[in-house]
Amino acid sequence: MTEIWQLYKNGHWVVPFLTGAIYLFVAASFIFYLIIVASRNRNIKREKLRLEYETQIERVMSSVIFEDVLFSEIKKDKNFMVLFDTRFFREVLTETLINLHKNYEGIYAQKLEQFYKDSALIKDSYKKLKNFNWEVKCKGITELSEFKINEAFEQIIACSKARNKTLKITAINAGIRLEGTKGIVHLTEHSDIIDEWTQVNIISAFKKHDIGDTKGVELLLESQNTTVISLGLKLIKELKLTQKVPFVAELTAKAPNTIIKYEAQSVLQALTL
Amino acid sequence: MTFFDTEITWFLDVYILLILGYAILIMSSYLILAYLSQKELRSYLKKNSFVDYEVLLTSEFAPKLSLIAPAYNEGFTIEENVKSLLSLNYNNYQVIVVNDGSKDNSMEILTKTYDLVLTDLNIHPKIETKKIKGIYTSRNAAFKKLIVVDKENGGKADALNVGLNIAQNPYVVCIDVDCILDKDSLLKLAKPFLESQGKRIIATGGVVRIANQCVIKNGRLVEVNIPDVMLPRIQVLEYLRAFLLGRMAWGRLDGLLLISGAFGAFDKEIAILSGGYSTKTVGEDMELIVRMRRYMLENKLPYAVSYIPDPLCWTEAPEDFKIFKKQRSRWMRGTIETLSFHKKMFLNPKYKLLGMLSVPYWTLFEFLAPGIEFIGLLITVIFIIFGLLNWHFFVLLLLFVYSFAVFFSVIALFSEERTYHKYPKQTDFFKLLMAAFIEPVYFHPLTVYAALIGYKEKIMGTKGWGEMTRKGFTKK
Repeated sequence: MTEIWQLYKNGHWVVPFLTGAIYLFVAASFIFYLIIVASRNRNIKREKLRLEYETQIERVMSSVIFEDVLFSEIKKDKNFMVLFDTRFFREVLTETLINLHKNYEGIYAQKLEQFYKDSALIKDSYKKLKNFNWEVKCKGITELSEFKINEAFEQIIACSKARNKTLKITAINAGIRLEGTKGIVHLTEHSDIIDEWTQVNIISAFKKHDIGDTKGVELLLESQNTTVISLGLKLIKELKLTQKVPFVAELTAKAPNTIIKYEAQSVLQALTL
Repeated sequence: MTFFDTEITWFLDVYILLILGYAILIMSSYLILAYLSQKELRSYLKKNSFVDYEVLLTSEFAPKLSLIAPAYNEGFTIEENVKSLLSLNYNNYQVIVVNDGSKDNSMEILTKTYDLVLTDLNIHPKIETKKIKGIYTSRNAAFKKLIVVDKENGGKADALNVGLNIAQNPYVVCIDVDCILDKDSLLKLAKPFLESQGKRIIATGGVVRIANQCVIKNGRLVEVNIPDVMLPRIQVLEYLRAFLLGRMAWGRLDGLLLISGAFGAFDKEIAILSGGYSTKTVGEDMELIVRMRRYMLENKLPYAVSYIPDPLCWTEAPEDFKIFKKQRSRWMRGTIETLSFHKKMFLNPKYKLLGMLSVPYWTLFEFLAPGIEFIGLLITVIFIIFGLLNWHFFVLLLLFVYSFAVFFSVIALFSEERTYHKYPKQTDFFKLLMAAFIEPVYFHPLTVYAALIGYKEKIMGTKGWGEMTRKGFTKK
């Protein structure tokens, strides 16, 4: 340190500074180059491994779906269990399971749900839900809601109160999927702005999961938060909930501002014409 | 030592310190911006992995967009380009093609292909433009989204203003008709408009990438390749550096001064209230953003400009130096004109971050940098002539700048690798790495030269774009 100060003091710092910086840039470039090469190699290996795993998983899942093989039977396959202990294998397995579950309904879907529970993949999802990283939480929420784990509803709804918007949207969507309107009524007490993107996602979740029972949607119109009221109005309009017209009419009479009043009138018009 | 010698030594010392100080300042700013970009990029990608854009496709609440595509002598590619614009993944949109007095058969091709007929569209122009000869719509219901405007030639800005006057939707997307858009580009570009929380989103922009030697099928990019020709190849690297390591950071700071004219979306009301595109500059894209921001700040309206790092738009880069020189000198003229129109903002706290950071940064590192480099070169030549040059120091300085340039390009490659990974082929990666080594000695001097031509053209009062010949994409 004293040497550097001396160099600076006597004005001879420029050459050592330039030489040092050149070495630094060259070394840093080389390190970045090595990281890029390593990253490319890792990706190639991972892709190869994924393909390999997917072949095995497809074989196992086909026996689960079409031959009624239970996880207790699969457990006897030592090779499978060795792989099952690796995190990446379980990751690929969960992804495949979710994709299959999206494509199947009825008894096949139930078999997949049972497999998810028996194989303890559900435990992984709960662990993810408790993770501090919001993106890991989102993964856990998506998995639990996909396999309709209603017991996780309260924990998921707790996540919907988070400040992180992506986590909030994922949790609300999951809540709607699991318990329908019950997944959004807590928004009545919500104080933050619910932007239009979140609103569009909530409406889409209602449509996608074909939520028939819409009891409680009208409660959103009583919120102190105008963005929540706007969400309620949009839901009523998009889902064509004509039975909610009296609530909308009431809102038109005592709207908190002109924008809401106008929006309510437009909903009334759309539903009554 | 004589008095004269003392003076020379003092001058040399000051010169070295100034040149080194400027280099360190510019390098540090690049590194800070690269760091901020990486943070923003990581955060965006994390969030984006949970985004379902399909919800916008089916929602009536998706922002309604009007695509404005000015066309001038695009007869060779216009049929396919318009077709690809009509087949984007989005519901609430219309396409307005503005034929800016083309001398070729663009209009005939459009009329024939899309079965166009004159229509009596009721428009109330808010921005003054050149005369409109006719507005056409298609008789074919399959092309109901399409409006074609035939007008007198007035330049790109004038054509875009016609589009702004005609657009029926609250948001306009201004694009170059010859660009290749990603199928989901509109979904991604529209999303930020729904995310405003107390701030009005006045514009969103996406990343533009180079499509030379990429394979295009039915107006869509199907295979990404790195060009064999060195000039466009280095531009791939240059665009990576600019978009992944620069603009992302400005987006994070909300100090972005430029949304590429090739692909950007705007709040129509604010664009019109700000006066629309300026026909007095060739940098109309940058100028509009600065003016819109200035309008919002002067009227104390809370706003934001959003920036999306996804590669949404692919464009053809010039392959020969003549065209490249024209493009870059025009960019420089655009920068000078915009900065001069808005010189009031320079270091003016009234314009917040824009006035205190963005505008001074562009002035110092975009507008003045080529001039400073040229002056440095001149002084070095003088030193050589008079035998004053300290060769040891000079070589070290060159190596310092060269190693930084390579280092910065490698960071860009690293960033691309960790994010979009659009160049998975090993050969492509090595081609780009090679370009990183060549760029400082081949490409950079060319950009400085072209920028100096831009200075000269500005001084001489040159106006207009000049002819830009394009080679066309490789089609499958």
